[in-house]
Amino acid sequence: MSALRQQVPNAVVWLVLLTMPYWMGAVGGYTELASRVVVLGLAAMALNFLLGFTGVLSFGHAAYFGLGAYGVGMTIKYLVPSTPLGILVGAAVGTLAAMVIGALIVKLRGVYFAMVTIAFGQVFFFIAFRWNEVTGGDDGLTGWKRQALDLGFTRVDILGSDKAFYYLVLAVFAACVAAMALLLRSPFGRTLIAIRENERRARFLGIPVEQHIWLSFVISCFFVSIAGTLYALLSNFTDPRALRWDQSGNFVIMAVLGGMRSFWGPLIGAAIFVVLQDYVSSQTENWMSVIGVFFMLVVLFFPRGVLGILRRRLAS
Amino acid sequence: MSLLQVRDVSKHFGKLVAVDGVSLTVEPGELRAVIGPNGAGKTTFFNLVSGFFPPTRGSIVFDGRDITSLSEHRRVRLGMARTFQVTEIFPELTVRENLRVPVEVAAGRRLSPWLTKAADAGIRARVGELMEMGGIADKADRLVGELSHGDQRATEIMMSLALNPRLLLLDEPTAGMGDQETYNITRLIRRLHRDQKQSIVLIEHDMRVIFHLADRIMVLAEGAVLAEGTPDEIAADERVQAAYLGKAA
Amino acid sequence: MTQLILFNVFNGLVVGAFYALMALGLSLILNLSGVINFAHGGFLALGAYLAYTLMPYTGFWGALVVAPVLTAVIGLAIERVLIRPLYGRDPLYSLLLTFGLAYVLEDGARFIWGAQSVPYPIPASLTTPLSTEFFFLTGYRLFMVALVAVAVLGLFFILNRTRLGIRIRAGTLDLETVSVLGVNVRVLRNLNFGLGIYLAGLAGVLAAGMLGLQPTIGTSLIMPSFVAIIVGGLGSLPGTLLGGLLIGVASGLTTVFLPSATEAVIYVMMGLVLLVRPRGLLGEEGRTQ
Repeated sequence: MSALRQQVPNAVVWLVLLTMPYWMGAVGGYTELASRVVVLGLAAMALNFLLGFTGVLSFGHAAYFGLGAYGVGMTIKYLVPSTPLGILVGAAVGTLAAMVIGALIVKLRGVYFAMVTIAFGQVFFFIAFRWNEVTGGDDGLTGWKRQALDLGFTRVDILGSDKAFYYLVLAVFAACVAAMALLLRSPFGRTLIAIRENERRARFLGIPVEQHIWLSFVISCFFVSIAGTLYALLSNFTDPRALRWDQSGNFVIMAVLGGMRSFWGPLIGAAIFVVLQDYVSSQTENWMSVIGVFFMLVVLFFPRGVLGILRRRLAS
Repeated sequence: MSLLQVRDVSKHFGKLVAVDGVSLTVEPGELRAVIGPNGAGKTTFFNLVSGFFPPTRGSIVFDGRDITSLSEHRRVRLGMARTFQVTEIFPELTVRENLRVPVEVAAGRRLSPWLTKAADAGIRARVGELMEMGGIADKADRLVGELSHGDQRATEIMMSLALNPRLLLLDEPTAGMGDQETYNITRLIRRLHRDQKQSIVLIEHDMRVIFHLADRIMVLAEGAVLAEGTPDEIAADERVQAAYLGKAA
Repeated sequence: MTQLILFNVFNGLVVGAFYALMALGLSLILNLSGVINFAHGGFLALGAYLAYTLMPYTGFWGALVVAPVLTAVIGLAIERVLIRPLYGRDPLYSLLLTFGLAYVLEDGARFIWGAQSVPYPIPASLTTPLSTEFFFLTGYRLFMVALVAVAVLGLFFILNRTRLGIRIRAGTLDLETVSVLGVNVRVLRNLNFGLGIYLAGLAGVLAAGMLGLQPTIGTSLIMPSFVAIIVGGLGSLPGTLLGGLLIGVASGLTTVFLPSATEAVIYVMMGLVLLVRPRGLLGEEGRTQ
């Protein structure tokens, strides 16, 4: 019975995701918006691997998201016109950067960790911003397009068909999410939760906490850079804003809004945030104020997030 | 060979000398108590032994190996486990989950991204065994944060024991407990010592517990060793009485 | 060449003084309340815009006195209403809240004063170069450095010699004990926040005269201020001051030799410091947690 009850939310999530392009239009959305929800949902869930399940606050994940985006764009533009290869390169670049920076910061905790991640995020922003000839600078990286998938027996035109691209995004999302779920249920995943619950105890149970936090950080950044590659592919474009600090803040608010103690929470947070941002920016020039006030309201009145509140209701 | 040899360790915090030239030798299978008035440096001494921070001076040898500058998790891997004065557990996890973490670490699985069915069964069995031993099996699926103080302490001790330590360090295991809980924990410690020949170093306030359990006692006062000996010798020692009853004696 | 280097070192020193002023305020708040005030740049901009609005009535000197105080008062009110409920909770929440506040302040400035930069007049007596050879030694720049120095001395005077300052320092070390001793921690945190915001406002009034005034002025200064805190040392105000000046000069020098790395160099410095000494140059032991 309880196993069944656990499967119900999973089934609902997948059903919604699988059918989204078919009803998105009917509720006033469009397929690209659906793709954006899934992509940013993946980014927020990846962040939450670190934030919600290891208890470490990174406020600089946009850096790795952006590295993924530039990685895929520059691969297709300058190296090989292949979408899968671009995704691999993007993920590799983001992960590599995370390995180096992670090693510098694992000794820090709490607000200090957050502050250093914010600051380091800026390095990549300035590189993208300044290195005009290669990155396109402030105007962004243009002049490339996602390439049709060649599966050997058939070609999938993900460029011409928004729906086909959506299902590519969903397939990558599914693989990433499954991997994260598997990791969180493994002995390694339990050490991360142990660190979140009580770092001192974890240390004195023989867990080298720094090493595990580093691994969690790198894994989280790996998935966030994959999300970044998809984000660039979605609009055939990327610019320095993809890796600026405000994007990092957006990921964190998505996780908090949906509920950072729950696996699916960040996806729900991403859906709410993306739809809200899409709507508000089409309505007013002062969308920044609206989003800013929204941040404050979430913090002051919904700190547990949608799923956190739901779970409380169910429990009582 | 002695299991633990602490040689002349000191710890300074700025100008404060918290531990001043303390030496201690523990033999395998021994239960050693460390007592002393408040502020005598007992917990600081424990922190030095377990690697919470390094000593200012002196050396610590565990099982023939110098561990003075080893990190805490490496000491754990060599077979040293500890509990804390204020219980350190994973409050929002169940008793079963709390124990599962150290069992998996002890099985060398801390980095495993998955487990085979057989490995999983082995780990579950070990967790069950530990819960039985600690008398907390009936609370297996309760959150530890919701349990009584005594059960939390029992969980913490069993978590340390799950690491199969050669030496168990217990920092005031009965602190803040009622008579019944104190009795239960004392019984648990005695069983570990007598039945499993577990080597233990124990800080304690409750004299009944100490004299009931310990093979030998070390008394600390103002950061230094005041006396050392069997419970009877310590009970008869005038300096110890003076330290506990005031300077008058 | 020498002149170019001198120019950039001096320039870096001036910019570094702003970083330091800003970072000192951030540090004060961080050390006592555990809050990363992401909106600090927004308050800086607010101070500058208030000065801009006041100037026609009060002149530059009047604005210099009044605007930072007004900014601090607004800061006190915001702390009281929005930030106080978050003390004792996961620092994540105060960070997110001030993050949202930064959005609102920047966008608010754009709404009220426009997205374009506005003319920000500084007294003519301060703009003339003092020497033809060292053209960059304008009175305004020297004046700014001097004023920042006065502000920093004033801050250290407050912290070391006044009751409020001593309580702030004690609270930074051990808030619980301070509260047991009968100090009202809420008031202490409130005033401390106001003090930090005052410094941001003052930095704003000065910086606008050099960098020009547009709504994003604060955002461009806050990131280096974070770096200043990390480089200088966690928990140490003298460290923060040193960190600010150091990265200012470093990026000034880099402008001479590798202009495209002007911004990036301070992050490289931060990386090196973290590698060699995670708690920062003058950081206290155990302050990394």
